[in-house]
Amino acid sequence: MKNIITYSALFGLFFCLQVFVFNRLEIGFGAQIFILPLFLMILPFDTNVFGLMALGFLLGISVDAFSNTFGLNASSLVLFAYLRPIVFESFRPREGYDPLKIPTASDMGWDWFLVVFGILFVSSLLWYFVWEIFRFAEILLVLRNLFMSVLVSAVAISISQFFFFNERKKK
Amino acid sequence: MQNLFAFLRRFRVFIFFTALQFICLFFYVQFVAYPKSVFLSTASGVNGRIQKWEGSLTNHFFLEENNRKLRLENAQLRKRVFVNFYKHDRPTHRIKDTLYEQEYSFIPAEIIHSSSARRNNYFTINIGEIQGIKKNMAVISPNGVVGIVFKVGKHFSLVKSVLTQDINLDVIVGKDGPHGLLKWDGYNPRIGIVTGVSSDLNIKKNKAIYTLGASGIFPKGLKVGTIVSKSRVEDQALWKIEVLFSEDYRTLQSVYVVNSLLQKELHSLQLEIPEELE
Repeated sequence: MKNIITYSALFGLFFCLQVFVFNRLEIGFGAQIFILPLFLMILPFDTNVFGLMALGFLLGISVDAFSNTFGLNASSLVLFAYLRPIVFESFRPREGYDPLKIPTASDMGWDWFLVVFGILFVSSLLWYFVWEIFRFAEILLVLRNLFMSVLVSAVAISISQFFFFNERKKK
Repeated sequence: MQNLFAFLRRFRVFIFFTALQFICLFFYVQFVAYPKSVFLSTASGVNGRIQKWEGSLTNHFFLEENNRKLRLENAQLRKRVFVNFYKHDRPTHRIKDTLYEQEYSFIPAEIIHSSSARRNNYFTINIGEIQGIKKNMAVISPNGVVGIVFKVGKHFSLVKSVLTQDINLDVIVGKDGPHGLLKWDGYNPRIGIVTGVSSDLNIKKNKAIYTLGASGIFPKGLKVGTIVSKSRVEDQALWKIEVLFSEDYRTLQSVYVVNSLLQKELHSLQLEIPEELE
């Protein structure tokens, strides 16, 4: 029950941050900050994959309605959710995942988090830009936008990992 | 039958994934290619109101710049107002002027949501069907072209900005130079590309680019930008001309929607052109 309230609040927080803060930042050079995948990332390890995809779809489509992307965010988040169990499985520690931990940098360590989240994040963003630009002739633009966006989003997400998900360790 | 169920059970995750992807991409393609309604966009009723409220908070950051622009435009318009002219002849009777007929009327609007970092950027403006906005009307600003109305809601409309993939605006180099097509390559929101100008023509830097107005959507002679550089297109005898937009789309707030009063006549005339000639 406590979890449901926490994650609903996080859902709202991520939505507001993306729509009203990060979508408004004009960084230039094709860089956009995407933080929505982080929400899907930090859901508990035993979250059902159907639930993950449905949540990704819901969060994505609500953000799309507010940023004139018409379903692109939803599509890339559904892909993220679909790939998450597969990537988690291939980076499983020898003793398996501790059900008391959540998939954040502070619980699982930076090495694990960077690799797993990196793979998922880059593939979902690549999907996003390929659909948005959708022209083979503009493949360089896809790569530039992908590179710049991953760079700035990584900074934003790392900061959030330092400040907001560090509490467990202190306890 | 059992095999079918076994198959469905085995691939249920993938089937659910495909179904969701289908919905998302169906929405996306439908919106980009055949826009029907403003549902799920910033021009929908509820959403538009939220954006408007949010815009009223953030508009203040650019207030000074926008005031300056509007003052400048006012000053220029004031020069043309007839009250400021001394009249030499005093006619004793009134004549109905049939020499001039108004071709365009302008409806002022405020931008309540915009983006410039994406490949296809849209603006939401605070007027819609009620104010007589229709699809494919031109949108301009005091400094140049802005875009074309893409979708109309009841109170809000969505404008496809110049910063999109397939804007293809017909432009002219200088006041009477060669014609070309304005495109945007997605790299820099300040720089546009003009193609279709033959490379045997001498194109000078810093020359202004204006709208051609061939389709009757945009008035003729609106400034688009100035030429910053040119290069040859590979394998083709054409210039690729880079244009610095005269309007900075990142800070734009007030625009005008252009109602082309003769558009219908022009369009019906152009329909009569036999297809093989086009």
